Amino acid sequence: MPGPDKETDLTERIEAFLSDLKRGGSGTGPLRGSAEMARETTSLLRRITAQARWSSAGDLMEIIRKEGRRMIAAQPSETTVGNMIRRVLKIIREEYARSRGSSEETDQQESLHKLLTSGGLSEENFRQHFTALKANVIEAINELLTELEGTTDNIAMQALEHIHSNEVIMTIGRSRTVEAFLKDAARKRKFHVIVAECAPFCQGHKMATSLSKSGIETTVITDAAIFAVMSRVNKVIIGTQTVLANGGLRAVNGTHTLALAAKHHSTPLIICAPMFKLSPQFPNEEDTFHKFVSPHEVLPFTEGEILSKVNVHCPVFDYVPPELITLFISNIGGHAPSYIYRLMSELYHPEDHEL
Amino acid sequence: MDEEELVEYFKAQMRKNPDMASAVAAIRTLLEFLKRDKGETILGLRENLTWATDCLTGVDSSVAVSSGGELFLRFISLTSLEHQDLSRCKKVMEERGELFLEKISMSRTKVAKLCHTFIKDGTKILTHSYSRVVLRVLEKAAAEKKRFSVYVTESQPDSAGRQMAEALRKLNVPVTVVLDAAVGYVLEKVDLVIIGAEGVVESGGIINKIGTYQMAVCSKAHNKPFYVVAESFKFVRLYPLNQQDVPDKFKYKADTLKTVQNLSEEHPMIDYTPPSLITLLFTDLGVLTPSAVSDELIKLYL
Repeated sequence: MPGPDKETDLTERIEAFLSDLKRGGSGTGPLRGSAEMARETTSLLRRITAQARWSSAGDLMEIIRKEGRRMIAAQPSETTVGNMIRRVLKIIREEYARSRGSSEETDQQESLHKLLTSGGLSEENFRQHFTALKANVIEAINELLTELEGTTDNIAMQALEHIHSNEVIMTIGRSRTVEAFLKDAARKRKFHVIVAECAPFCQGHKMATSLSKSGIETTVITDAAIFAVMSRVNKVIIGTQTVLANGGLRAVNGTHTLALAAKHHSTPLIICAPMFKLSPQFPNEEDTFHKFVSPHEVLPFTEGEILSKVNVHCPVFDYVPPELITLFISNIGGHAPSYIYRLMSELYHPEDHEL
Repeated sequence: MDEEELVEYFKAQMRKNPDMASAVAAIRTLLEFLKRDKGETILGLRENLTWATDCLTGVDSSVAVSSGGELFLRFISLTSLEHQDLSRCKKVMEERGELFLEKISMSRTKVAKLCHTFIKDGTKILTHSYSRVVLRVLEKAAAEKKRFSVYVTESQPDSAGRQMAEALRKLNVPVTVVLDAAVGYVLEKVDLVIIGAEGVVESGGIINKIGTYQMAVCSKAHNKPFYVVAESFKFVRLYPLNQQDVPDKFKYKADTLKTVQNLSEEHPMIDYTPPSLITLLFTDLGVLTPSAVSDELIKLYL
């Protein structure tokens, strides 16, 4: 029978994804980039929409929320999973509103205006059934997937506006987005790049090798030398793991140091971050904010005596407050950190902030 | 409804429920006024309501009452645009008014729900004067079994801080009352600053009891987060650039404005804190950065 087979196939895929998430987080840094994570999550959500049993938008949202909570619990530090789930929930709300014929714009956000003019304590419960809803939602998710595929290119296209000839650019660690950004600019301009190696995983080395293969003059420095070299740098361009709701960042460790050094020298700090990294969280979640991995990289187990006398930590992330950031470059253009709240309201519905 | 009845009703509302915000009492009074109004035209209604708001600000000159009145007037304008016929319009206004009051009475709970997650175990909080919203937030945090301690400034000239300390002691929260002058001294011990607001201005800054600006400047110097908790009906269409720009009618108590000749000899009761010193605003519309406030006001008034 096709019914139960599809269901078991779907549950199998979800379980495979969950175990992948659980495994992918431990070890020496992320095994795959956030872009792939976002694409896989969205494809899985599309599959759930297509194959799971639901009759109204409310049911579908419940199913997605349930699976979403499990996915987030599997790997709390991978925020792109949660972000994609919220995007899809917003898509479902919009398609539902469109099917009902009501204008989506006014219904969405809480505002003073809405407080004054709404007719009733309306609880939108999404119970109505529309036959075309499934097709519309799947089409919208496909559009989302196309958008996700084009993000790195969209960001790289803006490179020429920001990078000028004979500039010295500083970056830290390895970011695929920044790599594409710099390579695109290198086609037309000549500039230098200084890469901070970002201990203990030293992803900076891979970044430097890749950049120099494209003909960019690259220098690798240790993290301790960041402040010393900063006076010669024109711009700092970095990537990030997550952009928080207040405009701050959760980036690889060492980024806060870099940001403070840039502020001290009044060097602009530019963040290349695609929209799927924007997360509605605030930096107050101390328990889930940080991730610690094996301290083997910091102090190897072979060191012997000293290990019983000291505590060794290896945090993966750093918080950078929004005051230190100059500009966010995303696939939809450049924005100031104070504008992030607006982008947030366009991408996610406030009721989905807490899954 | 004449002036005396209006003022009596307002005072009765404040007496009946001392926990209610003054803006809510003002809106309730204006709604009652609307119900009893015998006008024949919408323009007449608006004029009467403006007059009624002026009477109320004559009793309680705080920014909140003024913003509540303006909000109500805006509500009337928006509703009257939809219905041409006055009697139907009035009926719709009365229904929506009741609904509006119901919603804003839940706003403090929404704010508390958003803010209490920012208070963790072992946090030391500094607050200023007596604010019912801050009290509600701390109540919620205490109910969630968080262990925290509070420093409250005395807040002269009316020592409202002592009232806050009493209320906190009833919740079994360890509280210390400090002098207004001791804010700089105590800031190195605290983790965050939470204060209420009498009004939130267009730039994202706030108007609050005198001494707030000082606290904000010191928090910035010590790099401590400065959080403001306010309900959305406190958003007001002012854009002060400095302390002098705040209109005199808000700075002094209503009786002072009526009786005193030379205002420069009086102590102002409020001050203005610019948005650059504020980290986040917790409102019933969500957690906002100061730059998001003007967006909300634009959505309403334009």
